[in-house]
Amino acid sequence: MTTDLNQFPQLDKTKFEQRGIQLEIGVPVTCAVSIGNYIAAGFGDGTIRIFSSGEKHKTLKAHKGVILCMAKDGDNILTGGDDGYFLKISLNGEINEVTNFGSRWVDHVAAHNGNLVCSSGKVVYYWDKNKKEPKSLNHDSTIGGLAFDAKGRRLAVSRYGGVTVWKKDYSNKWKSTKLDWKGSHNKVSFSPDGKYLVTSMQENVLRCWRLKDKLDFAMSGYGSKVKSFAFIDDTSYLATSGAIDAICWPFDGEGPMGRKPICLPYIGNKQVTFIEPFPNEKAIFAGLSDGSVFLSQIENENNTIIIRSFTGSEVSAIAMTDDKSSIFIGDISGNTLWTSIWDQ
Amino acid sequence: MENKHQVPVTVLTGFLGAGKTTLLNRILTEQHGQKYAVIVNEFGEQGIDNDLVVDADEEVFEMNNGCICCTVRGDLIRILSGLMKRADKLDAIIVETTGLADPAPVAQTFFVDQDVANKTKLDAIVTVADAVHLSSQIEDHHEAEEQIAFGDVILLNKIDLVKDENIDLVTKRIRKINPFAKIIKTTKCGAPLKEILNLDAFSLKRILEVEPDFLESDHDHEHDDDVTSLSFVSDKPLDMEKFQNWFGKLLQTKGQDIMRTKGILDFKGENDRYVFQGVHMLMDASPMGKWPDDKERSSRLVFIGRNLETMNLKEGFEACKSE
Repeated sequence: MTTDLNQFPQLDKTKFEQRGIQLEIGVPVTCAVSIGNYIAAGFGDGTIRIFSSGEKHKTLKAHKGVILCMAKDGDNILTGGDDGYFLKISLNGEINEVTNFGSRWVDHVAAHNGNLVCSSGKVVYYWDKNKKEPKSLNHDSTIGGLAFDAKGRRLAVSRYGGVTVWKKDYSNKWKSTKLDWKGSHNKVSFSPDGKYLVTSMQENVLRCWRLKDKLDFAMSGYGSKVKSFAFIDDTSYLATSGAIDAICWPFDGEGPMGRKPICLPYIGNKQVTFIEPFPNEKAIFAGLSDGSVFLSQIENENNTIIIRSFTGSEVSAIAMTDDKSSIFIGDISGNTLWTSIWDQ
Repeated sequence: MENKHQVPVTVLTGFLGAGKTTLLNRILTEQHGQKYAVIVNEFGEQGIDNDLVVDADEEVFEMNNGCICCTVRGDLIRILSGLMKRADKLDAIIVETTGLADPAPVAQTFFVDQDVANKTKLDAIVTVADAVHLSSQIEDHHEAEEQIAFGDVILLNKIDLVKDENIDLVTKRIRKINPFAKIIKTTKCGAPLKEILNLDAFSLKRILEVEPDFLESDHDHEHDDDVTSLSFVSDKPLDMEKFQNWFGKLLQTKGQDIMRTKGILDFKGENDRYVFQGVHMLMDASPMGKWPDDKERSSRLVFIGRNLETMNLKEGFEACKSE
């Protein structure tokens, strides 16, 4: 959504914007992942841009249409597009086709330890790193999201009516368990400690299962759909978008049941649209619907700094390099910022 | 936000063999200088090969909002959100539904999903009907009747294969189910695209511009069609509270049978015209500026649906008139 910038007061650029590189690509940024000290960002015209400090970014033409999803596989980038291609791309720009579904979109991709997975429609395809042909895992409805647990032993597949959790048994056969909850489930994630599974739903609510006893509960109260969420500092908090505050549910101890979330407010009453953890800290980057991005300490709301001022377009991607030195920000109009975090 | 750009979405429905694919092929191949994406169902009648054709699986699901008839198309939410990330901007999107599909979930998706409603807007429901077979299809399949009931535009196709008097008969049949749709008679779906796309039929403003022929409720009960329409007019202002109570309860309890509603309302003590339209239980309503000086104030209300005669609509509406 583009907005007339003249209606906003003209603020100065942040120091991060002043020392960083800002681009106006003019095409939506759809996704970004960190690969070591590189950031790969995907765009609506099928290009990928790879950023690293001290070098000019590299642009690759990867897909014929929108890059719908992206994941990291070791030192490679995995992408799925609306051109039906599932690609594996190296940091130096070598593009390999994993598969091609023709007119069917590749909606989600994920990887763990060299094993690759993607979904197209109702089917999940799993490539064991030692095998050429994928194993198809079928579902009754279209897949909303995919996630491995931290150890790569379980694969969660969200769909209409709940989540299917796939696991290989001792004889290497795929077994599935269903976690049912009425409604359409989108993004899915295991908690880093493996104890919980969370989905964001078509309604303005998150569903959570405690896996040891399948106890399930809702996290609700949102003004809009929760499109972005992330576990913070291992499993200390679950930080979520979908409200004008960043909503952070406590997941330590006995979990969030019966406890209130911490709500981090931002100036301007804009919706939080994207959440990215600051690795190993109780801190988050929150991207807003007006393009601004803040870094906040969860347990000290006064400790919030502005990283990027508004652009007028919703933040759609944030990624930080593994060495925590630099950050990439992108929005739905293709405004990007690549900057170092620390003052010299 | 005021100046947001919303891509218009046309829903193309119609019974098997009526000519939807012919129309889609025309839309994709004619030189019109516009960029259209077409979302087709995976069991389409024949393949259409084009970069801008997207396969959909017509996944219908219920919303968890306690509203039993509130079903939406999950695949459509996903596909429209994907299409909005494209580098090139689309001039319009056309959603084809299978011949046996109920058009309501597609329409309801635009009322229910915030992201879809922000970036796209429902433009019109276009129904392609086979002039040769429509009458028997209506007898045998409730879906054929529903597709006529929901249409803003009905392309009565294949008229070259039907005698003139039979065209009149089938037109009358359509009118009984849906007196407000625009009927375009065609062979090989040969209507100009500007009469099919970008009609803005779902905008409240448009309801005022092309005021449908709201007929005095002169309803005949001879025909045995399942789906019918009823309309009401009142020159006496309505009581807002009474109307809201009656109408809200009506949609809540009978929303499954009421397929489409439209209305322009004159409330006592209010200077503005109130305009609304709904699909089943979902409604879009808003004051739309003052009554024009050259026009008499009056309230007009129309229903299309099943079992309307059992809902005491006339009595209910009469009771809303202000004292």
